[in-house]
Amino acid sequence: MEVTALDNFDLRIADGEFICIVGPSGCGKTTLLRILAGLELPTAGAVDITRRDSGRPLTSMIFQETSIFPWLSVRHNVAYGLEMRRVEPATRNRIVDHFLELTGLARFADAYPHQLSGGMKQRVSVARAFANDPEILLMDEPFAALDEQTKITLQQELLKLWSETRKTVVFITHSIDEALVLADRIIVLSGRPGKLKADIAVGFARPRLVQELKADAEFGRLWHDIWSLLRTAGAAS
Amino acid sequence: MTTLEEVQVRIVGQAPGTSGLARRLMRSSLLKAIASPLLVLVIWEMAVRCGLLDSRFFPAPTSVFAELFRLLQSGELLGDLGWTTQRVAIGFLLGAIPGILLGLALGLSPLLNALLLPIIGAIYPVPKIALFPLVMMFFGLGETSKWAIVAIAVFFQVFFSTLAGVVNIDPIYLDVARNFGAGRWQTYRSIALPAAMPYVLTGCQLGLGMALIVVVVAEQFGTKNGLGFLIWRSWQIFEVRDMFVGLMTVALLGSVLQFLMIKLELRLVRWKSRPNPPSLV
Repeated sequence: MEVTALDNFDLRIADGEFICIVGPSGCGKTTLLRILAGLELPTAGAVDITRRDSGRPLTSMIFQETSIFPWLSVRHNVAYGLEMRRVEPATRNRIVDHFLELTGLARFADAYPHQLSGGMKQRVSVARAFANDPEILLMDEPFAALDEQTKITLQQELLKLWSETRKTVVFITHSIDEALVLADRIIVLSGRPGKLKADIAVGFARPRLVQELKADAEFGRLWHDIWSLLRTAGAAS
Repeated sequence: MTTLEEVQVRIVGQAPGTSGLARRLMRSSLLKAIASPLLVLVIWEMAVRCGLLDSRFFPAPTSVFAELFRLLQSGELLGDLGWTTQRVAIGFLLGAIPGILLGLALGLSPLLNALLLPIIGAIYPVPKIALFPLVMMFFGLGETSKWAIVAIAVFFQVFFSTLAGVVNIDPIYLDVARNFGAGRWQTYRSIALPAAMPYVLTGCQLGLGMALIVVVVAEQFGTKNGLGFLIWRSWQIFEVRDMFVGLMTVALLGSVLQFLMIKLELRLVRWKSRPNPPSLV
């Protein structure tokens, strides 16, 4: 059976922008991301990504579930994309060490995933995608399965990592809070089939601190607006 | 005002080594493991000496051990052990390597699966020993036919285990491989083989068991050496003590091979969390 997941969807993303996509369950968010990742083909339409450097991969995805390889050590998990692209070992080690350091994983470089907590595992996933240095980073609710405190810590770390690399990011989430904390722009989708409902600029100054953003009056106002949009989106759940 | 009495909590552990030799022996798992076989041997020995058991069918354990030493001293037993080990090793490699490769290939390629699985599935139910006459017709009575029949027995175990391993890979790992630009061969090497490795090794363990069964039967034909030959000959000349020596040695070979497989598994699959690590005994 074929299901129309996305309909009449047109989105332009500037280089270095942090986009969050929110929408009710089943609005085609994950389908959109999988199309961008090259894991699924759109039945109609096209995705154009301008490549600045032919040696770089187009996208790297951070998945919602645990997707790091249990048979590889943390170091080799982070190096995975670089190894697949046959980046020479010296360069590869330098890049991997850099991101292990930035994500606080340096001490666990030789550990295997079964020895790590859920938050640590997602840090490995984040480091793996950043180390691959793609044109666009795709994140499919990467923190959804984590507890609240770990989630906030990882959001803060992602903000720091992003401010240092300025990657183009497409981040999917259920959480309005998370979208407001992270994004430059929030795309609100309506329910099945997914259509673009609103495109909201988030103007909070960077660098951002999660706990201060949440105390901001503007944060509450935007939260309220987006919630109203989602409720009228029909299939809000 | 009330005065609070001070409450002290002391946690006291029992000092080790105070329980005496007898209790330590009782606790020793090694002793428990050998106690019952030892008892059987003692009862057996006594039953033969009292004439309750016919020593022509159940030679006394002491006489079997005497025969064991005689065969060891003459070099006969080590020679037979060497031949059987060699046949198992060569046949195992000839069966396991194609088993792993085809298991990976059919697991990841729907086309190959559709083309080849029906053939493999059709041959699988034939008892492997029943194929031995056919194998001897192709490869003659010599070593080749023995390697071939062992290889066939091992192949099916390893192939089906590997296939199951690949089919059970969490699809997310294949998504990651695709998204991170892994090619076909890179996907085999970096995802399919390591993810299926626990299954592959289980298949190898089962395969070794099958290899021993098959080789002992195959050594009945066209050879004058090997543990299987020793057992079959002792049946023909009614030398029951040799038969027991042969059986003991085959059992020992089987245990050693299983032990080595477990060692290999612990080394190759270090990444698995093990609530119950496989026992080495």
